Amino acid sequence: MSSFKELSKGIFKENPTFVLVLGMCPTLAVTSSLQNAIGMGLAATFVLAFSNILISLLKDLIPSKIRIPGYIVVIASFVSIIDMAMAAYLPDLHKSLGIFIPLIVVNCIILGRAEAFACKNGVFASLMDGVGMGLGFTLSLSVVAIIREILGTGKIWEIAILPQAYIEEPMLVAILAPGAFITLGLLMALINIIKDKKKAVKE
Amino acid sequence: MKVYLHYALVLLIITALACGILALVNQQTKPIIDRNLFDEENNAREQVISAAKTFEKQELKNGKVYYIAKDEKGKEIGYTFISCGRGYSSDVQIMVGIDTDFKIEKIIIIQQSETPGLGANCIKPEFSEKYTNLEYKDLTVDKDGGNIKSITGATITTRTVTNAIKKDIYDLENELAGITFKQEVKDELI
Repeated sequence: MSSFKELSKGIFKENPTFVLVLGMCPTLAVTSSLQNAIGMGLAATFVLAFSNILISLLKDLIPSKIRIPGYIVVIASFVSIIDMAMAAYLPDLHKSLGIFIPLIVVNCIILGRAEAFACKNGVFASLMDGVGMGLGFTLSLSVVAIIREILGTGKIWEIAILPQAYIEEPMLVAILAPGAFITLGLLMALINIIKDKKKAVKE
Repeated sequence: MKVYLHYALVLLIITALACGILALVNQQTKPIIDRNLFDEENNAREQVISAAKTFEKQELKNGKVYYIAKDEKGKEIGYTFISCGRGYSSDVQIMVGIDTDFKIEKIIIIQQSETPGLGANCIKPEFSEKYTNLEYKDLTVDKDGGNIKSITGATITTRTVTNAIKKDIYDLENELAGITFKQEVKDELI
């Protein structure tokens, strides 16, 4: 498989949120605004890319029977180092992205990719896979967030796009927790319908 | 048997290495992080009472630290302190600046990790501006029968901020001005 394919499969064919259904916690938690979704997505992309590289490098040193605890320790330490370094040297960035870091440690996409891809593939392919999965994750989060933010506040990225009357009394449930489940469920249903149609056409 | 020892040894090496590296990074970054926090706190203090030139550290009888803000002539123009409370999902810290009549001049949320999109909206200026010019008696959230409008979907965060400030102004006003509020008013503040 060419490296472009490794990159692009994470965005559509094996989209982590809608197809692999990984990382549901952050998907539900941070998609109440587009700003948060992109912040979380990019932070996760960065961690994914480097944790994939790290695991791909270490894959021969860690016996397969104890790979899961091994990977967890490696990934958690790596994320903690990023957290501390960011707090010390880039405090402004840490202020806006810092709240996502603890969520990333427990994000199963990271461990999922280490387990499903990086431990069986080379360094470059793993990097591509990580970046692709990260971007796919960012894209899915953004789609959910755009729908929720527009319906729930009438604004997107602080810019009003629906009439003032709507902004004063928006459909609040969309940015509250139930809105996350409803939006995600409807989107997944939509994607499955499209997939089924495609399959039917092929057959 | 041998194979288990082998696995245990590998895990031991991985965790020991991870610990060592983390300790090293922590040692390197801790002083810088503390310094950043310290600067941030000073910065926030200067912002909440913008006319102040110097701050003098003081302590209340109950151990609460506050600062007396003075202008260039050394005249007392207000007080600042940090209020803390348990929010919905994190501890919220608020830098509060009040004038000598115990009216709020400005508040800044300096630390929180409330729910993004809901409680985290407390860092927006639209929220903190609501507190300007309020006194002790005005500090009650709408859901509790007061006039402070809660953040949408985040009554708990709003209540935390409001009650934390209220309690500290109460303590400060009590000790510095010798005013004793009715006991039942204090009991509302858990």
